[in-house]
Amino acid sequence: MSLRDRIWYPILYMAAITLISSAIIILFGSLTRQRVQDNQLIAFERAVLGALHIGEQELSSPSAIHTAYSTLIRKPDESSAGAFRFIKDDSLIAYALPLEGPGFWAPIKGIIGILADRKTVTGIAFYEQNETPGLGGEIVKSAFTEQFKGKILSDVDPALSIVPVSVVLDEHRVHAVTGATQTSTRLAEFMNETIVAWRNRMKREE
Amino acid sequence: MNIGSQMLHALIILFAAIFTDNILLARFLGMCSFLSVSRQVKTAVGLGLAVVMVMTFTIALDWLAYRYILQPYAIEYFRFILFIIIIAAFVQFIEMVIERYSPILHQNLGIFLPLITVNCAILGASLFMVIRQYNLIEAISFGFGSGAGWMMAIVAMAGIRERLNNAKIPRGLQGPGITLIIAGIMALAFIGFTGVLSGR
Amino acid sequence: MVRQKTGHVILAALWGDNPVFRQILGICSALAVTNLVLNTAVMGAAVIFTTALSSLTVSILRKWTPRIVRMMVEVLIIGFYVILFDQTLKAYWPDMSRNLGPYVGLIITNCIIMGRAEAFANGNPPGLSFVDGLFSGLGYACVLLCVAIIRELLGMGTLLGMQVPFFSTPLWDRWIIMVMPPGAFFTLAIIVWIARTIQPDKEPKKKVGI
Repeated sequence: MSLRDRIWYPILYMAAITLISSAIIILFGSLTRQRVQDNQLIAFERAVLGALHIGEQELSSPSAIHTAYSTLIRKPDESSAGAFRFIKDDSLIAYALPLEGPGFWAPIKGIIGILADRKTVTGIAFYEQNETPGLGGEIVKSAFTEQFKGKILSDVDPALSIVPVSVVLDEHRVHAVTGATQTSTRLAEFMNETIVAWRNRMKREE
Repeated sequence: MNIGSQMLHALIILFAAIFTDNILLARFLGMCSFLSVSRQVKTAVGLGLAVVMVMTFTIALDWLAYRYILQPYAIEYFRFILFIIIIAAFVQFIEMVIERYSPILHQNLGIFLPLITVNCAILGASLFMVIRQYNLIEAISFGFGSGAGWMMAIVAMAGIRERLNNAKIPRGLQGPGITLIIAGIMALAFIGFTGVLSGR
Repeated sequence: MVRQKTGHVILAALWGDNPVFRQILGICSALAVTNLVLNTAVMGAAVIFTTALSSLTVSILRKWTPRIVRMMVEVLIIGFYVILFDQTLKAYWPDMSRNLGPYVGLIITNCIIMGRAEAFANGNPPGLSFVDGLFSGLGYACVLLCVAIIRELLGMGTLLGMQVPFFSTPLWDRWIIMVMPPGAFFTLAIIVWIARTIQPDKEPKKKVGI
């Protein structure tokens, strides 16, 4: 009668396998947890810097991004109405306004950079989205985001519009991603809501 | 969010899961059984019903397990294994219950239940629920909608394939090939639903 | 002798018994990401990693595994490797991890991996099982890469996100439909059609009830 024929053998075996594999996974998980959290932080900081167009070329490594972020960007205060502030030589250069709203599938989170004149857009960047890869997911690509650079926020609603490729551009308009109408519409909607709300708060603060 | 808009949102998710985000035609989940069990409408309906039921319940169970077991201990990466165990256990449990209380239902649905454990649509729905950060109500309506959407697709496919029986199809295209092409055309038709839900 | 057998296993896994051509198995977990070549390549790597190592592990453990818990052990082993891959991706390539979304996790339900573990690794020595798993995964990844190359080239006019002559110029009117879901169905159908037309019909046609 070998060990294998005992009735409790399968249970013991299963328990042993589960225990060993779980132990390895938990060990591996705890080793990588710090890194995963750092990645999320860096993704946010990279989006802020990207939206403000601060030194894209030289900022490739996570540590360079973190250093640049900590020296140049200040947390929101009352005067900025929830926007992060880009400060250089003690003067305010631009605001980085966090955007958050529903995408087609999952929430989209991003940053839009606006100069101190509160009109000129410096850029846009996203750090969280789950849109369809190749369609809505293209909003993170430079082909889409580069369009925002230098656009002027309109005084009438909508401040910025995302229009189909067939429509002619002006200083308040950017082109949508082809094939991703849903993502573009939703993005335009919550982006404008956020910008308008921010502008109103800024006016009240004055 | 108040109850009214909460309900409306759940309803939007339900319809999106059936039409615009059909788990099979837009997300390619549950293809294996879709290709192999779509020869007859009757079997397709049986399998479809089983999927709707299992998906709705397991997504709720998975949601609870994720929220109250995995998240508190920050071991979310165990979700893959935990979800599949929950699905397998639930299917086993349901099979026993049905066998005991409704022999007729067991006769019709019973053979499909084992097929469901390996249906990736079930696990896929639960994984999407985690990524999209649904609450319990949204998760359940998403699970039900995905199941219903999957069932609709497989029943429609079976209806088409029954009529294809007498058609002359090139040899290399027989079986899975032609099924894939039909699925492509169906997916094309379903894209037409996009935009129906644009008014939030 | 061993060498010949290994060669045979490789050839069967890549072409003759290629799981995608023969049975259209396991495409669910990956077809959705085939609109970009890079995503597909990573997804293919994940499948190869999981198939090879889980076949190896199942084969090593086969003498000690009791029959009644065999399937559960296999699921556990596959899940184990999938979690390792997913976690590694999250830690070292977060952008890709976000792109692939739930599809890495869905490898667990990929019928090919389970199929290789059941059909081959259970009755063969570890070395051979590893090779079988490796090349089954590779055969599968190749087909998906073909789909991805066609879809990205025709749909976006790029390859691996890079510009390509002719297709990236205005001369080429991009077929948006190719990067949308129907494109995947059509492309795969045509690839399967071609492969099945070239391949001689090995098995007599079976009428399966279900």
